[in-house]
Amino acid sequence: MPYDDPDPTDPNMLVGVEIPGTAESTRDMAYVFAEEFARMGFNKTKLLRVFQTPFYAGAHRAYLELGDTEVEKIIDECLGIWGRKNSLAQSA
Amino acid sequence: MPKVWNWQLGRGMEYPYDAAFPKRQFAFVFNINRCIACQSCTMACKSTWTFNKGQEHMWWANVETKPYGGYPQFWDMKILKLLDEANPGGQVWNKSNGSTSSPQAGSAQFDGMTIFEAAKKKLTPESARVLGYLPEDHEWNSPNIYEDNPKGIKGKKYELDKEGTELPIHKTWFFYLARICNHCTYPACLAACPRKAIYKRPEDGIVLLDQEQCRGYRKCVEACPYKKTMYRGNTRISEKCIACYPRVEGTDPETKGKPMETRCMAACIGQIRMQGLVKMNTNGTWAEDRYNPLYYLVHVAKVALPLYPQLGTAPNGYYIPPRWVPRPYLHQMFGPGVDAAIERYMNPDRELLAVLQLFRRSNMIIVSYKFQEGPKIYEGTLRGKPVSIYNDTVIAYGKDGEELFRTTIDEPIHERPALHANSI
Repeated sequence: MPYDDPDPTDPNMLVGVEIPGTAESTRDMAYVFAEEFARMGFNKTKLLRVFQTPFYAGAHRAYLELGDTEVEKIIDECLGIWGRKNSLAQSA
Repeated sequence: MPKVWNWQLGRGMEYPYDAAFPKRQFAFVFNINRCIACQSCTMACKSTWTFNKGQEHMWWANVETKPYGGYPQFWDMKILKLLDEANPGGQVWNKSNGSTSSPQAGSAQFDGMTIFEAAKKKLTPESARVLGYLPEDHEWNSPNIYEDNPKGIKGKKYELDKEGTELPIHKTWFFYLARICNHCTYPACLAACPRKAIYKRPEDGIVLLDQEQCRGYRKCVEACPYKKTMYRGNTRISEKCIACYPRVEGTDPETKGKPMETRCMAACIGQIRMQGLVKMNTNGTWAEDRYNPLYYLVHVAKVALPLYPQLGTAPNGYYIPPRWVPRPYLHQMFGPGVDAAIERYMNPDRELLAVLQLFRRSNMIIVSYKFQEGPKIYEGTLRGKPVSIYNDTVIAYGKDGEELFRTTIDEPIHERPALHANSI
């Protein structure tokens, strides 16, 4: 586990060049996660949790950038197509 | 140096040994669009194969945050930089030379140098066969260095950090790249080993390292561009991913004699992974096997692409590229097929949608599938584009033609009771 952050003055440290995404790339990312997990059968509550949990950094970044309302709109749109799945609760 | 055919490059290339191909080849497809970096695969592998003393730094399976993280640190940037130094400005794909005459043909020809070809120009002595580098110890420190690993307070090891964890926040795009050994058709590790301790199994193409023959020269560690062979200090020999071969060959007791997917595949909760065996032609291309799901995804739908094909090892790991990532980065990572692959994945036809349903419905290796049309169940729009969904059925078959499972596009979801929510 690294305890030190990368040292930018270290001549052996490669420095990446940021490739900026398009204005739409965050929205695209949000759509991808919403659609993929809706396909897997996640309902609205579970999908929202993927976006709201900071440990799912990709979805969470989209959530922070786009905001609650926009993410919910994306989720609703994806669930409109994929959200008709039947949930069967198994017995213990 | 002998010349071999590399279909991923669309041309022949130099390789230190004559071409020799297995009957069937271990291969896999990872759908990056679904990966949330939960690291279940990483831990499934770790807890099975690399939990012993001396293996602490070994992560045969890992998930790294691209473009920020990497294991070992900067592995891909470093080999790409070495290649660019060997062939400045020449590492390009020539789209005008691409052929679409056969399913195996790529959309372009690679005009640059592979790690085998660049070795001649860049390396001395002559015995050096593969361009590569040996990572330093600190580069192996973490499976996703500086990325999604929480870190504690500096200087306080082995203590719980009560303040919580610290995670990096990126200001721009990123995605998660899950990696294991690619069990390459032209393995660089095998080419570089002076002891001939590394071999490719004729029955399934799995690349193994004979620990009795290995003397720990680390030529394989230096040569593998994906850095998936690793040196173990306390035994002084190298080790690598063994593709969970007892499962793949059906000798693990859990398999009950049938080919089963590896531990990292089986543990994938994001359902991004599918692994199997593909039939090979005698020239090293994949034999036509239309209803093998891997053949379909790679050669028919062409949505799954090899990782850094320009390195020249003909890796057998294929990736459905992430839809939201800037194309220049994806072109570098997956080659010239990226645009078409994303277009098809974003607008899947009925068969592709059905084949995507096969991912992780079973831990057994799917040998073939059958597609059955069903009724239309939805018509509407997604992001302004018309979408029609049909409740088609896909049936998966195993080694002896037995039905493994069948599922529909609109399949029911089974939820575990709270009492057993986390039991596997």
